[in-house]
Amino acid sequence: MASAATDTATSVKPTPALKDELDIVIPTIRNLDFLEMWRPFFQPYHLIIVQDGDPTKNINVPDGFDYELYNRNDINKILGPKASCISFKDSACRCFGYMVSKKKYIYTIDDDCFVANDPSGKPINALEQHIKNLLSPSTPFFFNTLYDPYADGADFVRGYPFSLREGIPTAVSHGLWLNIPDYDAPTQLVKPLERNKRYVDAVLTIPKGTLFPMCGMNLAFDRDLIGPAMYFGLMGDGQPIGRYDDMWAGWCVKVICDHLGLGVKTGLPYIWHSKASNPFVNLRKEYKGIFWQEEIIPFFQTAVLPKDCTTVQKCYIELSKQVKEKLGKVDPYFDKLADAMVTWIDAWDELNSTSGGAKLPNSRSK
Amino acid sequence: MATPSTSVAPTPLLKEELDIVIPTIRNLDFLEMWRPFFQQYHLIIVQDGDPSKVIKVPEGFDYELYNRNDINRILGPKASCISFKDSACRCFGYMVSKKKYIYTIDDDCFVAKDLTGKDINALEQHIKNLLSPSTPFFFNTLYDPYRTGADFVRGYPFSLREGVPTAVSHGLWLNIPDYDAPTQLVKPRERNSRYVDAVMTIPKGTLFPMCGMNLAFNRDLIGPAMYFGLMGDGQPIGRYDDMWAGWCTKVICDHLGLGVKTGLPYIWHSKASNPFVNLKKEYKGIYWQEELIPFFQQVTLPKECTTVQKCYIELAKQVKAKLGKVDEYFLKLSDAMVTWIEAWDELNTSGADVAPKGNGPAK
Repeated sequence: MASAATDTATSVKPTPALKDELDIVIPTIRNLDFLEMWRPFFQPYHLIIVQDGDPTKNINVPDGFDYELYNRNDINKILGPKASCISFKDSACRCFGYMVSKKKYIYTIDDDCFVANDPSGKPINALEQHIKNLLSPSTPFFFNTLYDPYADGADFVRGYPFSLREGIPTAVSHGLWLNIPDYDAPTQLVKPLERNKRYVDAVLTIPKGTLFPMCGMNLAFDRDLIGPAMYFGLMGDGQPIGRYDDMWAGWCVKVICDHLGLGVKTGLPYIWHSKASNPFVNLRKEYKGIFWQEEIIPFFQTAVLPKDCTTVQKCYIELSKQVKEKLGKVDPYFDKLADAMVTWIDAWDELNSTSGGAKLPNSRSK
Repeated sequence: MATPSTSVAPTPLLKEELDIVIPTIRNLDFLEMWRPFFQQYHLIIVQDGDPSKVIKVPEGFDYELYNRNDINRILGPKASCISFKDSACRCFGYMVSKKKYIYTIDDDCFVAKDLTGKDINALEQHIKNLLSPSTPFFFNTLYDPYRTGADFVRGYPFSLREGVPTAVSHGLWLNIPDYDAPTQLVKPRERNSRYVDAVMTIPKGTLFPMCGMNLAFNRDLIGPAMYFGLMGDGQPIGRYDDMWAGWCTKVICDHLGLGVKTGLPYIWHSKASNPFVNLKKEYKGIYWQEELIPFFQQVTLPKECTTVQKCYIELAKQVKAKLGKVDEYFLKLSDAMVTWIEAWDELNTSGADVAPKGNGPAK
């Protein structure tokens, strides 16, 4: 007979592993050596590898990982004409992994991101922290000055309205990076030596109505709550812009989260970002974005979604209409992007309807 | 002589531009610990409670001290807007100051240590915060972009990187956290031991709970909004003084394009106030808050409100119109808000002189 719990008053509940509820999506064009360092934390999980670039190249996955791998041929085969919405020669292709996943949660990480140590020298289990973030509520309506009120040893402060202390479901957990910071090309050119050494021991909710730059290097989200909004846009080969994929997704996601009453957190966990990308290459990719951003931000800041947009897909389709209408005049790229946003939703719904979509991954899977 | 490119410009002291305002009812022994950091600054002590009690100020500090008799003498009938038997009376100190910046701290707040074990110069960090811009229009995921070793991240619009002037620097507390009475009753042993090494701007449109324990602001930019309300003796509520000021301040800052920062510096909060006493003080506030927050969240100030005073008077009107029905207290408060502005303007026109009691000439 099960006995009653003993002295649980001082014990902290362990974070659930969510082994069968979370997929790790990794875009790669080179290799997956970095997975060796992550093995203690990642091995229980199913991986979805999205191989960008040359599909004939063989990407070696370290032994012992359970994975499915998709290259460009697979993407074309699975999506047919709709594959046009998935970027080529850009890590934006990772969002294909979100689409084909069958899990509730996604964690995505770049292949130049390694395990960081916390200030006590202990390796950080980034995935565990993301899970904590996703499983606890967000508080976007009022700023808590002690940051995450659900963290151990913290709470809501005096003056925080009691009716807002239940919080709302968390859709996104945005982690950060030590060492090479996620700077744009101009900043990289001006400050090539700067490294992020500051470990900020906080998780916080980004308030409603406030946009942020969402980086895809160390990102987790609840696919059921927000998945269809995580389209990473048209980047890379044949496109006039790059390095705005995660940014675009983040602005769409935040507007939709704000509309639907979902939370976005940022802060812990940190990973160790080891590779500084080439700033000259980056400048070429970002160049148009630097100017377009100035139009895009006011667009998102003033975007209003009608009340009848009650699902992520409806919100997203509505957003794509507004993109076409208001950003189309900035550049024809946005017309294409608006169409691709619709294609993405069509593909998402097709692959994620209850009858399920055909899936022919290039791998073993459980 | 050229300075090396790797050196960081030292933070200006602002000795002649900053007053430290301290409300007290007991004693000022805590100043001994702060001496290395505070001694260069002029103090404004606001003595609450019994005016016949003598509050001893440690040797070597330059100060002016006001008790209730002084407040009554200086403000006459307008003294009714200044709380009695509540640390809310501190805002009288803001009003009589002649300086550009104010730092206010409670008498149970001590020097904290950072993660390396070094004493934290809270005032220096507040000055850094006030002298560097705020970024309320877009969230920077690496927090304060103006700090050494940080910057704006990829995706942050370039046109927003100049920032806006910072009006308020809200510091935090290690050890005894600033919890409300219910939380104190439920978690009497919780201590804040988490040092979060960040300063950040509270985004436009977002309210926050502003604690007056460790707070600095630019008096020229936002001073008249820092009215700490009617609390304490004869009032139905307490422990909402700084909260009230914070909500008014944030709405006005958002309207005028000024920034509010929170985070570093930490002080060490040593004394846990009595949660039963606190519950009595906060009781009505727990319910009223539920009306106050939507009120402040929806406030809009007209374009013609181009100064803090105009914004504040307009806010007072809206408080009367919309919160008067919650409780008559808000009618009184609204009137007191107007009285406060009148008193502020009277004392702060050129030539106003308040003849303080102190050991040095009024600077």
